Amino acid sequence: MKGFRYAVVFGALALLALFLLYPLSLVLDASLRVNGTGAFTLANYAQIFASRYYVSSVGNSLLAAAFATVGATLVGTPLAFCLARIDIPGKTVLLTLATLPLVLPSFVAAYALVLLFGHAGVVTTALRAIGIPMGPIYGLPGITFVFLLTLYPYVLLPSIAGFRAIDASIEDAARNLGGSRLHAFRTVLLPVAMPAVLAGALLVFIEALENFGVPVVLAEDRPFLAVDIFKLFAGEADNNPAAAGALSVLLIAGTAIALVVQRHYLSRRRFATNARAAPPLLPLSRGWRALATIFSWGIVALSLLPFMAVLFISFLHFRGPVLTWQLALSNYSTLLEGSFRPLYNSLALATITAVVATLLGAPIGYIVARHRGALSAGLDVIGMVPFAVSGTVLAIGLIIAFNSGVLVLTGGWLILVIAYVVRKLPFCIRASSAIVHQIEPSLEEASINLGVPPLKTFVSLTVPLMAGGLIGGMILVWITVASELSSTIVLYTSRWSTMTVRMYHFLEGGEGAGSASAAAAILILFTAAPLLLIHRRVRRQDDPML
Amino acid sequence: MTTIRLDGVSRTFGDVRAVDRFSATIEDGKLFTLLGPSGCGKTTLLRMIAGFTELDAGSIWFGDRRIDTLPAHRRNTGMVFQNYAIFPNLTVEDNVAYGLRARKVGPVDIRARVEKALARVRLAGYGSRWPHQLSGGQLQRVAIARVLVIEPAVLLFDEPLSNLDAQLRVQMRVEIRQLQQSLGLTTIYVTHDQEEALAISDRIAILRSGKVEQIGSPEEIYRRPQTAFVAEFLGGTNMLPGVAGSFDGRTTEVAACGTTVSVQGKAAEAGQKLLLSIRPEALRLAENPNGPVLHARLVLREFLGQIQRLHAALPDGTQIRISTLGSPQVVAVGEALAIAYDPAQIAVYPAP
Repeated sequence: MKGFRYAVVFGALALLALFLLYPLSLVLDASLRVNGTGAFTLANYAQIFASRYYVSSVGNSLLAAAFATVGATLVGTPLAFCLARIDIPGKTVLLTLATLPLVLPSFVAAYALVLLFGHAGVVTTALRAIGIPMGPIYGLPGITFVFLLTLYPYVLLPSIAGFRAIDASIEDAARNLGGSRLHAFRTVLLPVAMPAVLAGALLVFIEALENFGVPVVLAEDRPFLAVDIFKLFAGEADNNPAAAGALSVLLIAGTAIALVVQRHYLSRRRFATNARAAPPLLPLSRGWRALATIFSWGIVALSLLPFMAVLFISFLHFRGPVLTWQLALSNYSTLLEGSFRPLYNSLALATITAVVATLLGAPIGYIVARHRGALSAGLDVIGMVPFAVSGTVLAIGLIIAFNSGVLVLTGGWLILVIAYVVRKLPFCIRASSAIVHQIEPSLEEASINLGVPPLKTFVSLTVPLMAGGLIGGMILVWITVASELSSTIVLYTSRWSTMTVRMYHFLEGGEGAGSASAAAAILILFTAAPLLLIHRRVRRQDDPML
Repeated sequence: MTTIRLDGVSRTFGDVRAVDRFSATIEDGKLFTLLGPSGCGKTTLLRMIAGFTELDAGSIWFGDRRIDTLPAHRRNTGMVFQNYAIFPNLTVEDNVAYGLRARKVGPVDIRARVEKALARVRLAGYGSRWPHQLSGGQLQRVAIARVLVIEPAVLLFDEPLSNLDAQLRVQMRVEIRQLQQSLGLTTIYVTHDQEEALAISDRIAILRSGKVEQIGSPEEIYRRPQTAFVAEFLGGTNMLPGVAGSFDGRTTEVAACGTTVSVQGKAAEAGQKLLLSIRPEALRLAENPNGPVLHARLVLREFLGQIQRLHAALPDGTQIRISTLGSPQVVAVGEALAIAYDPAQIAVYPAP
C-alpha cells in the first residue's frame, strides 16, 4: 500500500509538473523576454502599465468580477436563507433548477442576452418600434449581469448548507436570552453562516475573472483581460506572445491571490458543523411567505430565462441575422449540414476526459483524504493550482510547451484532453476526497484485519463504496467539458473542432445567428439532461470545491 | 493456544510519547484490559498489536512467533471496532463470510461456519439482512460473529460498547465475557470505563500518558492501588494532601485539611508531605464513635437509590464524599457530622 501511495503521489506530481507547471513557467518566461523569445526584459510589463488600453483591460476585468461577486452575494445569501428556513412551494425542484446555471455554458447566457437585447435583439427592436430607445448591454453592464445570473449558485449552495448547519438550539439560546428573531439573525445566524457565504463569494470572483466566454460574446471592442490575452496570442492582426504572457501572469496572480485568501479564510473559520437538530422552518405570515416564494422562484427563473430563450429562438427561422416568428428546424439543418464532426468531437472529448480525470482524481483524492503528511498536503495544494489558472492561459502554455521539441502534441486531440483533464482535476480530487471522508477508515482496517491485503482491500472494498459518488462527479466533468470554450478555442484544429468552437465562429461571423442558437440549444440539452437525471446525487454533493 | 508477550513496546507521534516501553504478558485464554483516560495510549497499543500502527521500538509475540514485523492482514487477529465497521455494501452473511473468503475457505464450509457464528451471537436467521436494517446492538453482534468465525489467534476489542446505551452496554459485556470464556480466546480489551474493566477482565493494565501505572487483577487494582492516579481513576477516592507527624509504633498522625488523620504503620518521616486516599465506602457515619473520627459539616446529600452519597466539608473547607448504604438518620445540611474510619483502609502516596 505504501508503494501504491508513492506511485500515485509521484505519478500525479509528475503529470502536473509536465502539463501544468512546465507550460505555466513557459508563459511566465515568455512574459519576461523581448518578443517572447529574446533577451530578458521587464519591458512587457512596463508596456502594459503604460498602455491605457491594457490598464483598462485589467481594470474592467477586476470591476466586472468585483461587481459580480457583490451582486451574487446580495442575491445568493437571502435566497439561501429562504431555501433553508422558509416553506417555499416546490423547494426540491427549485433547488435542482438553481444548480443548473453552474454547469450550463455561461457564454450561451451571454449570447441569449445579445439575442434579446443586442443591437438587433428581439426586445431591442420591439422597443425601438414603439419609440423606446434601448441602452447598450455590451461591455461592463451586460457582462456583470450574466456573471451574476450564472455564478450566484456558488454563493447559494454553501450558504444553504451554512444556514442549515446551525443547530436549532443556538437560535433558541439567542431567543431565550431575550433576542428577537431579527436580533438573533443579525447577531448569531448571519455571522455563523458568513464563512460559507464569503468562501462562495471568492469563488465567484475567481470564476468571473478568468471567464473567457462571456466577455468574448459581450465585450465587442471593449478591453477585457481574458479576451485580450486570447487576441494577443492567437489574433492575426496584433499577435504579441510576450504581452499575452504578461497579461496571463497578471490574470493568474489575481485568481491565485483570491484563491489563497479563500483557502486561508476557510481554514481559520469553521463555525457551523453538523447540526444535530436542523433549524426549524420559520413561522411566517401568508404575505411574507408569498413574498419569499416570489423572490426565490423569480431569481431562479430569471437565471434560467436566457437559456429558455435560446432554446425557443433556436426553433425560429432566421432570415440572415434577422429573426422571424416562423417555427422551423432550419437552424439545425444549417448547423449540421456541414458535418456532424464537431458534435462527435464534443461528445468523444468529453467522454475521454471524464473517464481519465476520474481515474486520476480518485486515487489522488483518496490519498489526500486518508494520509496526513507533507506529501499529500503538497499534492492537495498543487492539485488546486489548475483552479486558479484560466483555460486560455493554460492552453497558451501547452502550445508553447508542446509545439516543438521532444514531445509534439499540438494539432491533435490529445492536447485538448490534457488541457481538460488538468483543468478538471481539482474538481475530481475534491469530489473523490469528499466521498472518502464519508467512508470510515475502520472499514478498511476491518477488511485488512480479516486477512485481505491492503491493495486488494482498496480495489474490492473502497472502490465499490466510492463508485456511486465517482459516477456523479464523472457526469459533472462530462457536462462541463462538453461546453468548454476557453481552452478549446486556443487548442482546436479544424479536424478537432467542437460544438462550442462552431458556435463561437457563427457568433464572430455575425450572420450565423440562427446556427449559433441551434448550437447553443444542443449544448444546453447536453448539459441539462444528464444533470437533471442525476439531480439528487448532485445536490447531495453540493460543490466539492468548498 | 496463544500467549501474547509485549516487550518494551514504544511509539512516538511528533513529540508525544503515545506508548512508552510497555511490557506485559497475557496468558492463554485470559481477557486483558487496557484501561485509562483518553489519550493514555491504550488504543495505540491495540492498533500496534493489530498491525495498524508501527512500533518505534520493542517487539510483540504470539507464543514464540514474533508478529510485529508481519503486515496487518497476516497476523490472524480478530478486531472489533468502536463503530463496528460493518461493510455497508454487504449483507450480514457476507460480512461474516468476509474473512473466510480472504482465507480461501470453500463455499460449503463457509455456509456452515457463518451459520454457526451467527447462532453463537444469537443472530440466527439474520444472514440475508442488510446492515442498515439492524440496531446498534445487532451490528455489534455481527462484528463479533465476523471475527469469531475466522478463529483468530487473539481477539481485540476497541471500546466496543461505547456507542450503546447504558442498559445494552451491561448486557453486551456479559455476552462478550461469556463467549470469550467459553471459547478460551486470548483477548485484549480497550476501554475508558472503569466499571466495565473491573467487571469483564482477568487482568487490567492502567495506562497514563503512555506508561503503565499498574497491572493486576481487578481486585488487586481496586483494593491496593499502587499510585495516587490509580486510586483516583478507579472509583473516585477522596484524596487529601497532608503532612506526616509523629509515629507512635502503631499509627502515624497526619495533619490534613485542618484536622488530624491516623494512618496505620509508619507512613513517612515526620514533616514529609504526602497524599491520603480514603475511599467513600470506607467512611461511616458514627453515632457513638470509639475509634478515630473526622469532624465535618454536611454540605450536600445525593440520594442514589441503593446508596446515598454525602458531601461534607472538613475544617479547612476541603470537601469529601461518604457513601452509605440505605438511608440512616439524616442530618440537616450545615450541621456537624462525626465520620468514623479504619486507619488500615487509608492508602498513603508521596506528594507529587
